[in-house]
Parts: sequence; structure tokens; C-alpha cells
Amino acid sequence: MNRLAVQIGSLELENPVLTASGTFGYGLEYDDFFDVATLGGICTKGLSREPRAGNPPERICETPASMLNAIGLANVGVEAFCRDKLPILRERGVTVIANIFASSTDDFVAIAERLGGEPGVHALELNVSCPNVSHGGIEFGKDPTLAAQVTGAVRRAVKLPLWVKMSPEAGDIVAVAKACEDAGADALTAINTIRGMTIDVDAERQRLANRTGGFSGPALRPIALRIVWDLVGAVKIPVIGIGGISTWRDALEFLLAGARAIQVGTASFADPCAAQKVLAGIAAHCERHGTTVTELIGRARR
Amino acid sequence: MAPHRAQVVAPLLRRESMGNAYQVLTFDVGRDLGALPGQFLMVRGAEWGDAPLLPRPMSYLSGGATPTILVKVVGEGTTRMARAEPGEPFSLIGPLGVPWRAPTPGRRAVLVAGGVGVAPLLFLARTLSATGQRPIALYGGRTKKDLPLDDDLALITDLHLTTEDGSRGQKGRVTDALGALLAEDVEVFTCGPDRMMAAVAEMCARRDVPCEVSVETPMACGYGVCLGCPLPAAGGGYIYACTEGPCIDARRIDWSRAERAPSAGGAAS
Ligand SMILES: Cc1cc2nc3c(=O)[nH]c(=O)nc-3n(C[C@H](O)[C@H](O)[C@H](O)COP(=O)(O)O)c2cc1C
Ligand code: FES
Repeated sequence: MNRLAVQIGSLELENPVLTASGTFGYGLEYDDFFDVATLGGICTKGLSREPRAGNPPERICETPASMLNAIGLANVGVEAFCRDKLPILRERGVTVIANIFASSTDDFVAIAERLGGEPGVHALELNVSCPNVSHGGIEFGKDPTLAAQVTGAVRRAVKLPLWVKMSPEAGDIVAVAKACEDAGADALTAINTIRGMTIDVDAERQRLANRTGGFSGPALRPIALRIVWDLVGAVKIPVIGIGGISTWRDALEFLLAGARAIQVGTASFADPCAAQKVLAGIAAHCERHGTTVTELIGRARR
Repeated sequence: MAPHRAQVVAPLLRRESMGNAYQVLTFDVGRDLGALPGQFLMVRGAEWGDAPLLPRPMSYLSGGATPTILVKVVGEGTTRMARAEPGEPFSLIGPLGVPWRAPTPGRRAVLVAGGVGVAPLLFLARTLSATGQRPIALYGGRTKKDLPLDDDLALITDLHLTTEDGSRGQKGRVTDALGALLAEDVEVFTCGPDRMMAAVAEMCARRDVPCEVSVETPMACGYGVCLGCPLPAAGGGYIYACTEGPCIDARRIDWSRAERAPSAGGAAS
């Protein structure tokens, strides 16, 4: 029996440990460090219809137990991903969640349709929550009506399992979550980064060229956990926890709060094997306690 | 390039102080990962916990089974490294990035170093020396305290030192001394502050002398994942310092857009 398997709608994952979009490239970059196919899955860097160059430097900056990034969704574009990356991932047996991003509903649908026709894509994760681009992105994720419109349009266009990534900057994140659930989302992933800022006091200006950047890393964890807790209480579809997870104990907090799976993000920069270690730790914990991941999910809610 | 990169946890073998703000750290990796001059590694204390969070990119000062790095204390991460005691475990990810291009036969190498930028150039000088070549080196700093490892460089190069305050060598900047050396049969390898490399690159371009730079940017991953290390590319778009650099033909960079905040710090500190 696989103690670690979890069910996310129609998709069964071998285990609940995934890697977060933008922190794991297209999955192949980590090949030298460990066998990526052993993870529950990987979420790709956000893919857009056309390739994007991204923001000018500086794009990143370390902050206490955290970092800021304003990458600006630089990516190879959906076409190059399907041509150059996906065949290798497929051959390696990697469970691929394609994270996609667009500034219009039409573009979201176009990218989804392109990926929907490709074997080897196991689910889509709609990024309606990127704080670092001026058009689209976060606008969709802040407003329940817009979020539902995008989710519904993609839902009608493709059969793939559909995950929607929540923005902590939504005024009423529960309302956005419910709107996405009603519009046909199979799961919610939470959270994306929160906008932060840092100023270089010697240069007397913001360190990031974009002025603000998405705040991620261990310092984000308590906020992410609270939001995941709220979402689990508000929707029936699975919630996948993201935010500051570095160790298996961090991951367990999210599972106990009711998350069905988790994503390791910034921690992979500190330690490229972080996700693998989180998985090993969860497996050992289940073994020790003679339990399964499914039994652990939501235990702290009793 | 065939990636042989790996993550190893290795104890600090030795730490040697090079004056006030510079330290040479030697790690006991136990096997040779094949680092070449110009390549770098991502260094993080295995016991740092949640902060400092990101590993720090560091050029190899030497490779082999006991690789060394030269650390300049500029922020929290480098402060921790500068206080580490032998035996303390470090996570090392490397070798990463593009090494120095192979020197062109028939051209004499001119190495232009600024401060801590001396590390990849000293590594290069040592490999040149091993094949019987003696490069010219220009090495500059603000004061005589900003010229770590100058003695090592003096042994294997024809060395010209410059300091801005005149406390050592010629008073002025490396670029003041460079003009006279830019002959037809030389090529330049340079590493140091952005402003210095930009000036060196421009002088070389004007005189049609090949110039290879080793760039430094903030980095979160070091292997092409975070996309946090862009440099403006000549002709538009960006070059990623960790995968397309750090050693790169100076003409591929748009130096007019490459000015960054003076204490770029952040992930590079
Ligand atoms: C450098 C960087 C790039 C990111 N790029 C994306 C992206 O392209 N799409 C996306 O949905 N989230 C992106 N994120 C957000 C992460 O997937 C994740 O939601 C967030 O970092 C919080 O998790 P963490 O604290 O574990 O990093 C990015 C985060 C970082 C640090
Ligand atoms: S440092 Fe992460 S992509 Fe270059």
C-alpha cells in the first residue's frame, strides 16, 4: 500500500510533495541533484502565449528569512515548453502541472488548449495572482467575478484537471475561492507571494527595479497557513498549501490544517534537495506512526 | 557544457584572514568536482537555518578536492562565513557557470582585477603558469588593504598595482594603467566592480582587443531556475549570469544599461 498517495479531484498523486512554480524551472534543471520523478509533481515556471524577457535588474533581494522577487514572468513561452521541455519530462515520468499566465481570458484559453492537446501535462495551474506584471495576473485573482470568468472559460475549453492559484492580496480571498470552485476549478493552490519592498539606504532608492517584489520564504509561512486553513473551511474542493515550506514539519502543518498536498518553493534555492527531503520526512513520519498522509489531512481541525 | 555540478555538504578545513575584510576559506570536499577557472559555487552554512536564507555565489579561487574561495565581508552571509570555524559544515553547489574562455595562442593575457574580483583571475593565472605562460596583471583597489592575495599574484604574473589613495603601487585606477598595455597581440580577462569592468570593456572595444569579463549579480539559485540574475544583453533582452556567464565576451553585454545600485548587496551579499 502507498501510504503517501493523495487524490486531487480526478488526479492521483504518488505523494503530496510538489514544487512551486517559478522556483523549479521546467523541472529538468534539478536533474543533477535528485530524481525529480519521485516527487508528487512539479509546477512549471509560469507559461505565457509568447516568450517573455521579464523585468530589468535587480529582480531579487534577500530579506529576513525571506526574499523578494520581481522576475516579471520571464519564460520560454508555451510553444517552446511543449517542444523542448515536455517530451523529456514525459519520458522521465515526471508528473507535470503546467502553471499558466495571461493578461486576457482569450490568451488563458489559448494556452490551456495548446497544453490540453499534449500528452504529459497532468493538470493546469492558473496563475491569476502574479504581483509583478502590470497587466492581468493579479487583477484576475483579486476579483471574484473576473476569477470565475477565467476559470469558467478554461474549464469549458479543456478536460485537464484545473487548479487555480490564489492571491493573498484579494480583499476577500474566500469569495474568490468560492467563485473559482463554482466556476469549475478542481483544486485551489494557496498562496502566491505578497508584494513587499525594501530600500537601499545608501543609494536612497528601492533595491528592486520594479520597486516592489513578491515576498516568499519561511517568513511567509504563518500567513500562508492561516489562509489555507480559512480556504479549507470554505470550499469542498482540495486545497494545496504553499508558502515558506522548508522541512517536512512545515509541510505537516499544512497537511494537518487540511491541505491535500503542498508545494515547496523558495526552499529549493537554499537547498536544491529540499523537496526530496520534505518527502522523505513525511514518509518517515507516516511509517513511525503507522498512518497515511490521507489520514493526517485536516487532523488539526478536530 | 556537460554539467557535473553537485551539491555536497563539506566541512570548512581552514580559514585564513587576509587583512581586515577578506578571508580565504578552504573546504574539505574529499573529491575533485572538476571546477575550472572562472566557474563559481553557491555557498551556504548547513546550519544557518532560515537566515541568511539564500546561498551566496562565490568564484573558485582554486579547485580540486579542497577548493578555496575568497570572501569579502559585505553583508550578513559573508559575515557568517568570515566567522566560521574549521569543522563547520557548508552546503556547496558547484561547479556552476561558464569558465574563462581558453586563452588564444599567440596572444598574451592581461588580467585586470578589482578587489575581490582577483579570485577567478588568480585561479586563471595559476593554470596559465602551469603551462609556462606568464600573464600581465593589473590589480587595483581603494587602498592597500583592498589588494588581498597580491603576493600570490606577484609570483606568477608581471604585476602592476594601483590604489585610489596611492597607499600602494601607482595612484589611480587600473584603467589608467591599462591603455599602455592594449597592444595588438594581447587579450584581456577582467573581474571587479561593474563600473571598472564597463570601463575596461569600452577601452578594449575601442582598440579591438578581445575582452572577457566575469560578471557578478545577485543570485538565488545559481543554475538557471530563479531568473534573478539578468544582465542587459547587447541588442536587447537579457543574459543570465549564472548559466550564460559568469565569464562572457564583454561585447555581449549592454554596459549602458548595466549600471546597478552601488551596494547591489541583496542575494549577493
Ligand atoms: C523567484 C520566484 C519566481 C516565482 N514565479 C512564479 C510563477 O511564475 N508563477 C507562479 O504562479 N508563482 C510564482 N512564484 C510564487 C511561488 O510559486 C510560491 O507561490 C511562493 O513563492 C510562496 O511559496 P514559498 O514561500 O515556498 O516560496 C515565484 C516565486 C519565486 C520566489
Ligand atoms: S541565479 Fe537563478 S537563474 Fe541565475
